[in-house]
Amino acid sequence: MKLMRKAALLMAAVPAIVLITPVGSASAHGYVSSPASRSAQCARGDISVDLCGQAKYEPQSAEGVKGKKNCSGDNGAFAPLDNDSLPWKVTNTGQTLSLTWTFTARHATRDYEYFIGNTRVGYFSGNNQQPNNPTTHTINLGGFSGRQKLYAIWNISDTVNAFYSCIDLNISGGGGTTPPPTTTTTTTPPKPTTSTTTPPPAGGGTWAANTSYAVGQTVTYSGSTYRCRQAHTSLTGWEPPNVAALWEKI
Amino acid sequence: MKRLVIAVAVLALAGCGGEAVVPVGQEAHGHGASSAAPPVPGASARFNDADVMFVQMMVDHLQLGISLSQVGLAKATSQQAKDLAGAIDVTQREELTMLKSWLKLWDKPEGDGASLHASHGGQPLLDDKVINETKEKSGAEFDMNFLNLMTGHQGAGVEMALAEKKDGQNPEATAYAERVVTSRQGQIEQMLKIISGP
Repeated sequence: MKLMRKAALLMAAVPAIVLITPVGSASAHGYVSSPASRSAQCARGDISVDLCGQAKYEPQSAEGVKGKKNCSGDNGAFAPLDNDSLPWKVTNTGQTLSLTWTFTARHATRDYEYFIGNTRVGYFSGNNQQPNNPTTHTINLGGFSGRQKLYAIWNISDTVNAFYSCIDLNISGGGGTTPPPTTTTTTTPPKPTTSTTTPPPAGGGTWAANTSYAVGQTVTYSGSTYRCRQAHTSLTGWEPPNVAALWEKI
Repeated sequence: MKRLVIAVAVLALAGCGGEAVVPVGQEAHGHGASSAAPPVPGASARFNDADVMFVQMMVDHLQLGISLSQVGLAKATSQQAKDLAGAIDVTQREELTMLKSWLKLWDKPEGDGASLHASHGGQPLLDDKVINETKEKSGAEFDMNFLNLMTGHQGAGVEMALAEKKDGQNPEATAYAERVVTSRQGQIEQMLKIISGP
């Protein structure tokens, strides 16, 4: 009888367990894309994946409970973001700074906070609404100067958590008595023609990643020749045999 | 005790976590065969729930990405952004055709995006409203909007693909997930370098 009761309990429990198991969660988040935060620098490949760890794959997921002053949210997989000795790029700025968040999912937002040390230099209410995407804030750096680490924190309203981003700054015009400089923004607008990629030789050559290819150019890959069908900058994952939409085998 | 084990086993088979196998080879040749061992199914016919969910969600994800890339193609001022939008458009159309053929092979519906998002706790980044709002912008502001949206959208794709690599079983779907991870990371790298400078 006791056994039967156990069986009945198990029978009731098994389907429930199956139903609540998250098969694959796509519960994604956000980070500061401009100026390039530490997370963004990992995603950009400025800092190697060996040093960045998970932040390379999920720059948007440095998530932890609210109220922390760090770059990882004390999320172990993102601990490298807290490492001040990694070669983070530093953004030069005046006293006024514009920051843009990239979201991979739009959580209802309590607010955004920006800290240097324990001083809150920026606050924006989220009104418990989904944020605009993207969201840009302009803050005043409160007289701080020199090399500083800015904590950018996105506080979610429907969970206990926040998302953490750190931006390394070199601030001019601080120190209280110095008037702010007239050029104050570091946001780099898209440059129409700037390219950091290498144009391939006209006569083709071997396919390579991070190369700008124009329609009609030919390359070889694994012994076959391909003609470019769509102008693009190549990347790993877009090898010619994988993307017939970009490369026609000839 | 034996009865209990059987009861649990039957429930486990009936639950969502079981492995589904479509005996494609058997359909074609194996009817009436008396061989004791079942024929090995074709690679693409071996899949589990994680594979199906990944492919269903990617179908929706790719369609939204295609809509956004077409807006980028039409309005981006940066040539790099425009080229990337064009390349994302055509590569994702190709992926979409492939994924739809897998769902057909597996005899699974394409599902509808809204209910998929709702049942997996997502607050989708992109919807028609967001895409239409983006269309209203112009110049450098449009480029920043488009690039940040696409960066976030492709980042969500990386998350879905990482889950598939962990939980999926179908060889083609997991290989595709690997390509999603690398290709989207490459795209995100390019976009972030336009957004925040080289």
